[in-house]
Amino acid sequence: MAALFFIAPVLYLFWVSLHQPSQSELFGAALTLQNYASVLGDSFYLSIIRRTLGVAAVILAISLFIGYPVAYFVALLPPRKRMIAMLMLLFPLMVSNVVRAYGWVALLGRRGVVNSSLSGIGLIDAPLDLLYTTQAVVVGLMTILLPYMVISIANSLAALDRRYEEAAQSLGAGPVRTFLHVTLPLSTPGVASGTLLVLLLTLSAYVTITLLGGPRSKLLVSMIYDSVTAFQWPHAAALAFVLLVIALLLTALILALLRPGRVLGTGR
Amino acid sequence: MSDPPIDVQLIGVRKTFGSVVAVDDVRLDIPRGTIFSLLGPSGCGKTTTLRLIAGFEQPDSGEVHIRGERVTAVPPYRRNFSMVFQSYALFPHLDVADNVAFGLRMRRVARNDRVRAVNDALELVKLTALADRYPRQLSGGQQQRVALARAIVVKPAVLLLDEPLGALDKMLREEMQIELRSLQQRLGITAVFVTHDQEEALTLSDCVAVMRNGVIEQMGAPREIYDRPRTQFVAGFLGASNFIDGIVVDRDGASAIVETAGGRVPVRTDSRVGERVRIAVRPERLRMVAQGGDGLPARIRDIVYRGPVTHFYLDSAAGALLSYQQNAGAHEWAVGTQVHCAWDIDSAVALEGEPS
Amino acid sequence: MSAIKLIGPALRGTATVIAFALIIVPILIVVVAAFSPNEYFEFPPPGFSARWFVEFFRLANMRSAFALSVELALLAATLSTILGTLGALYLARRRGIVASAIQSVFLAPLVFPTIILGVALLLIYKTIGMPVFTGLLLAHCIVAMPYGFRSVLASAQSLDPSLEEAGQSLGAGPLRTLYLVTLPLIWPGVLAGWLFAFIVSFGELNTALFLTGPGMTTLPIEIFSYLQFQGSQLVIAAASSLQIALIVILVTVIERIVGIGRIIRSR
Repeated sequence: MAALFFIAPVLYLFWVSLHQPSQSELFGAALTLQNYASVLGDSFYLSIIRRTLGVAAVILAISLFIGYPVAYFVALLPPRKRMIAMLMLLFPLMVSNVVRAYGWVALLGRRGVVNSSLSGIGLIDAPLDLLYTTQAVVVGLMTILLPYMVISIANSLAALDRRYEEAAQSLGAGPVRTFLHVTLPLSTPGVASGTLLVLLLTLSAYVTITLLGGPRSKLLVSMIYDSVTAFQWPHAAALAFVLLVIALLLTALILALLRPGRVLGTGR
Repeated sequence: MSDPPIDVQLIGVRKTFGSVVAVDDVRLDIPRGTIFSLLGPSGCGKTTTLRLIAGFEQPDSGEVHIRGERVTAVPPYRRNFSMVFQSYALFPHLDVADNVAFGLRMRRVARNDRVRAVNDALELVKLTALADRYPRQLSGGQQQRVALARAIVVKPAVLLLDEPLGALDKMLREEMQIELRSLQQRLGITAVFVTHDQEEALTLSDCVAVMRNGVIEQMGAPREIYDRPRTQFVAGFLGASNFIDGIVVDRDGASAIVETAGGRVPVRTDSRVGERVRIAVRPERLRMVAQGGDGLPARIRDIVYRGPVTHFYLDSAAGALLSYQQNAGAHEWAVGTQVHCAWDIDSAVALEGEPS
Repeated sequence: MSAIKLIGPALRGTATVIAFALIIVPILIVVVAAFSPNEYFEFPPPGFSARWFVEFFRLANMRSAFALSVELALLAATLSTILGTLGALYLARRRGIVASAIQSVFLAPLVFPTIILGVALLLIYKTIGMPVFTGLLLAHCIVAMPYGFRSVLASAQSLDPSLEEAGQSLGAGPLRTLYLVTLPLIWPGVLAGWLFAFIVSFGELNTALFLTGPGMTTLPIEIFSYLQFQGSQLVIAAASSLQIALIVILVTVIERIVGIGRIIRSR
């Protein structure tokens, strides 16, 4: 039942992407790979894809870099405080993305908090154009997705048996080496699930990208939306599928690099 | 005097999980009013057998009968049994009285009768004062008694117990063993319980079935299977045992003379001359006498004092031997002493199966 | 040696403060903006006024978007919790490939790129001529399902399996065991699942973006449209604050009923 509502639509999407565009119908009669060719062969689309991958990479890097120490901190808290910290991380995730993006608009806009504060102190004369840039997208999206990373890693770290670290220390490993050789590898499942979650959400975060990036910083997901509003269904379907394939490839890559199965005992 | 009727019967029951044979062609007849135990190491199939009687597992082949009625295809909630679970499985959202009353409610017993029966059951397990407590407010021993009360109040044809005393500490366990037995005898309920503790099985049961790899290796009264084990596994599982190998060289009526590496010893067996045989003797039956007597010569290798008894580890030509001596203030042995090990012919058994 | 011991925790603490600030501040700003007295957001805010909340309730399109979001959330939460409970009860004691596959399908909407799901649903709806409300409801159910499912699953799995067997050993058939033993013990999980599903549905945006119709817009999508086309922004600060307030209230309710531990664990 659930499968029907879920898998069937996606298969239908693929089917549509293989058709010619049509003016009057959803899609024309003839089967073609033209839609994919026009996407993958066009340098414009390729540059969008490159930018999308770049943004994803940067967001992943930063959220790992900040997220891991925070997760470590949270994992070490006594149980009651840890629960409260987790709740404080869960709460923003329940607030709709559009509201959180709006918060960044209010922060980075020409009359926003940052500009007002900086000119109020006298550091700048004219408001900075912080919004509608790729950088704004990166910062905003990263903070929206950061709780996912922290919660994933913190759960993994908190579930770690303290005795692994104690065993390492009894064998002569100092704090740094214990972390590198024991704690870090054993937290791989949490890192993997956090990374995958952030990656997949980055690829589909249309609202944030549009609000913070504006017309000049479009990513792949924005292209899909544009095609849909222009009623170019097969084209939109093809773009969606390219996005899906990219997501799957990156997922496989991350799983192969991190190999969480080693720790979980599922082999590989 | 007529035999009591058979309350539980398993005929040719077989159960596999995937490629693992958990229960292999088991036959059981349990008379009314007896306590029957299934004893064995983990994975031997004893719990599966219990669950087959309950109906939580369906046999691949064979029949299950309760009070003469064929229940193989009947689901658990329609079989005439009740069960005490290893984790007690008291309903956390009901208080003690409601827990005990649950089975009666299912059987649509009228309210007044229900209340009376619950009170009687709680009195039997001495928990009347805790009737309105909740399970989480009770100690392990108290929870166990509530589970027991809940199971006996419905007056089942058979009471099943899955390692009921496993979670209790040693003293409490021994106390509960005695209480359990006296309760069962007062009520005359047929009981089947599963345990891996051979002491518990010997203490509580009228009949013990020793299981290994899904098969009942030996079944009988506690004294019988302890004194007269038929296989090496049963001998070894029920307690420590000496094993001595030899070849039959002479027969005299029902008994035979066996030539071992350390000398000749008598044993009751049907084995013919020339056949190999393995003799089992319990350490408490192995006497040590000063040199010059009958028996196998041996040298005391180690002495371990254990309070009421002392364990003597001996080396003989027939292998390592173990002897338990009561510390009744008799002979003082020393390590290195040469002795002779002897036993009554009735104290030894010849084991079945090929000596390995 | 001791310097290293101090650096670690100091770095972690700093990172934590920065991270929490980055995460929470944008949300706080929105709430602050909602109380601005003037037309445009200024920082520091010159005063305090509830005019934008009044404006929110005055605008018909805002009111109907709010009502639609609530209606959809109530229905989606209920439907997905019922389905999720059935699925969770079925899967709770089962292992194996089939069970894992079914569980993956229930949880898939969590990670599946939402835009793709939205486009796919849109195409199907257009092909079969799906009415707008039903289509929206379906999308919201799909998105909310994992939350109802996961919460109930966690509850059902933590239940001692011998409790249900005990019920059966005392004569309770499968249905009676369900409502006398199982449901009374997992109801906090079901309730928490419902509340999470409600919250998620209320804030749902990406999948439903294409699926709205004339006169039928949800609150998050309405907020998005305003932001995109530079409408009067502060009324949406008020709208957003209302959504935030709703979430705070619901999370507090969940916490009172089922406790913090259960919320964390069911996530």
